Amino acid sequence: MRPFIINRLLRLFATMLAVSFITFFMVNLLPGDPALSVLPPDSISEENIARVRADLGLDDPLPVRYVNWIGGVVTGDLGRSYRTNEPVMDSIRARIPVTFQLAAFAIVFALMLAIPLGTISAYKQGKRADKMISSTVQVMLSVPVFVAAVFLIYLFAVQLQWLPATGWTRLTNSVPGNLRTVFLPALSLSLVEIAIYTRLVRADMISTLQENFVLSARAKGLTNSFVLFRHALRPSSLSLITVVGLNIGTLLGGTVVVERIFALPGLGGLLIDSIGQRDLLVVQGVVLFIAVVYVVVNTLVDLVYAAVDPRIRVTGKGA
Amino acid sequence: MTRRTPFTWLAVLLAFGLFAAACNGDDDDTVTGPDAVDDAQPDDPAEGQGDTDIEEVDGDVQRGGTLVVGLEAETTGVRPWEDTCGSPCMNIMVALYDKLFEKEADGDIGPWVAEGIEANDDLTEWTLTLREGVVFHDGTPLTAQNIEAMFELQQTGAAASGVVTATGLEGVRAEDDLTVVYTLSAPNAGFPDALTRPQLGIVFHAEAASGDPDGFNANPIGTGPFSLVSWDRDNEMVLDRNPDYWATDPDGEQLPYLDQLIFRPIPDEGTRLDSLLAGTVNVMQSLRQSTIRDARAAGDQIFLYEHQGSNTGSTIFNTEVPPVDDVRVRRGLALSINQDVLIDILGGAGISERATQYFGPDSPWYSQEAADAWGHNDMDAARASLQEYVDDPERSDGLPVGSPIQVEYQCPPDPSLIAIAQGYQEFYEATGLVEVSLVQFEQAAHIQRVVGDEHMAVCWRLGAEEDPSGWLNTLMGPPETSPQNFTNFFDEDLWALLTEAKETADFEERQRLYSEAMVLINEWVPHTYTGYTATLLASQPNVRGLGQGTWNLPNGEEGIGFPTAEGRYAQVWLAPED
Repeated sequence: MRPFIINRLLRLFATMLAVSFITFFMVNLLPGDPALSVLPPDSISEENIARVRADLGLDDPLPVRYVNWIGGVVTGDLGRSYRTNEPVMDSIRARIPVTFQLAAFAIVFALMLAIPLGTISAYKQGKRADKMISSTVQVMLSVPVFVAAVFLIYLFAVQLQWLPATGWTRLTNSVPGNLRTVFLPALSLSLVEIAIYTRLVRADMISTLQENFVLSARAKGLTNSFVLFRHALRPSSLSLITVVGLNIGTLLGGTVVVERIFALPGLGGLLIDSIGQRDLLVVQGVVLFIAVVYVVVNTLVDLVYAAVDPRIRVTGKGA
Repeated sequence: MTRRTPFTWLAVLLAFGLFAAACNGDDDDTVTGPDAVDDAQPDDPAEGQGDTDIEEVDGDVQRGGTLVVGLEAETTGVRPWEDTCGSPCMNIMVALYDKLFEKEADGDIGPWVAEGIEANDDLTEWTLTLREGVVFHDGTPLTAQNIEAMFELQQTGAAASGVVTATGLEGVRAEDDLTVVYTLSAPNAGFPDALTRPQLGIVFHAEAASGDPDGFNANPIGTGPFSLVSWDRDNEMVLDRNPDYWATDPDGEQLPYLDQLIFRPIPDEGTRLDSLLAGTVNVMQSLRQSTIRDARAAGDQIFLYEHQGSNTGSTIFNTEVPPVDDVRVRRGLALSINQDVLIDILGGAGISERATQYFGPDSPWYSQEAADAWGHNDMDAARASLQEYVDDPERSDGLPVGSPIQVEYQCPPDPSLIAIAQGYQEFYEATGLVEVSLVQFEQAAHIQRVVGDEHMAVCWRLGAEEDPSGWLNTLMGPPETSPQNFTNFFDEDLWALLTEAKETADFEERQRLYSEAMVLINEWVPHTYTGYTATLLASQPNVRGLGQGTWNLPNGEEGIGFPTAEGRYAQVWLAPED
């Protein structure tokens, strides 16, 4: 196991270095001068733009700027926002709980619904319940997240007035308030995940239910629910673990739209605003952070995978 | 012992989630009245006003409660000298700070924390008298020395330095505790207007700001009706009532009425309106015509306060670049367009009025003569003007006689702007004499190309609510000394009028001069117009004190209202809901 872990960690480091390099140069290829977002409209002139560029160090060659930036990154200093002068790390730190909680709730919602739905669908394969679940899942897959979000706001906030339409209450301020503000965004975000996970569980479960050990368990007279959830679910969940792992990273990046619609102070909103305002250091910082989380989570998934299935560890050794 | 299956755990989690989500769901979140007694800050956005004691002040007005305002964007910062402040930011600024002067409904300058201002004969020295008894949030009194100290930051501040230069402000000195003298490098009749604007007009605690300029964002100290409690960037800013606020209502009751004010940035236009309809916020602002249209459709669920701003969509021409360096081409293109159709493309039909100049019909600078001088959708006249250029052997683009005029039209790739660019293309090409190539640059690159003179015809915005002496002289000044002159258009007669207007004290005479200037501009067509920007403040029905005529200056005059959706909240109060 140890060589496997070392191998994965080396890959992780190389990937993060590559990500930082690509992120930096891609962001700096964006058209438009960041100085324009710093200057007020009535101060925009070539002279002032030149002054601001010099102040921000934008006149240095790109490789020099990259080395300066990555040197700071290594020490945890991602620079300061061109617009607000706030340390980028502070901005990210303030937004991490929102995005992480949103993604976590979306995954929890998805798993809470997808596992039973997928299992029932597999157990009732070809019957009415299976068809209903499959059709519903198909609809959920085809509804874009922003449409779902707008619909949920209209229903639960505008019409029923059960939940707030927008905004965020921090967990530290009020637990019920926090749950009320996270519910609709997380639900919007989870709809597609529910559909994907349900299909995945269903497909794997159908295959597992044909295994000898399941037939044997049934022959012993165990209840259907016991057989399904105690015997069949675990071997049917390997694909699910992989996809959930991959989706964590995707969800962190995918919260952008939901955060925008629900006016949540998360990483997605920060990223969008920063792109629009050419706040390059913030863009670089957020993109790098999301990329690192994505890579780390997937490395962890690899490790979990190896722990669950020793055959992967053996294969990975030689990889 | 029974072991729970994963399904059981998931069911428990789901039940918990639903229970938690339903918590408080039946609260009377938006109900105000004498029975609402919780004095705490609302702990989630669904809880709007009505969380504090409500007390009847006189016959109608109620004191207390929390107002939640949905803004279209987060503010960069609340340092008046440093942070660029747009319409959402101004809602916050006028709650935290006071300005030296405010504008009256007719556009005149009226007293606020300054009682009056007088100029010397040549308009280069302005002496201002401060109101006595105004104190900052930390209890220190407002003095002339503070105004003098503010200037040190304003001179170099990213936001204020441009205005310092544009107004010709050279020095500020305190004559005594309540008298301030501003010294200008050149006569400027419009200088008092600069003291109604955030960059120079807002009063902040200079000592605290100088001591820790960056930290001032977290701890701003002004004299405004509310003071900052907390700011969770991109989420909410909470302000509490300033109990020592100097201003009173016309009945002598101390302002503000509200106990608490919360600003929430809600960038998405649709969900901001939904938030108002759902009661998540009590007031919202918008500068989008499509939102105004949707808000109107909501009927009597909400109150709307609309304004036609002195700001218009436009096409600006780089008058140094052929073929738009020739006025015949510019005039022909201008006459070819149908502004009503362009306004409709932007979703502003019935909302935004057709623009004929920089100044909106609500502006004291609006000129009927300029409106009359602006032609509209006269295709025959357009063709005649363009044909003259096409047939000219000396045409500036160097193309052979009879060749179509080639126009490059630049606009950012925003869907509505793509549509408007295509609208222009259609009108220009309908003359049969023009071929248009559309080019798109993302917003920042779009601006950069204009600043760098790499443009020919560009979609843009023109106009401002402020006194024209500042921005108009910059917009139409000599290109070599006026970096904001993006059309590169310069005319000696026009410049003489603008200079004279800047050096004239008499308001009516200035109106006449700007009217003449506007007529000249319309004749030379350095740009065209579409529609005036309509802006909106919308509120729930129990929010009072937001309409025109609800806030007054200390001299009893009615305030200017809420141009560009900049709300004032000192006089706002919450009526009990039916």
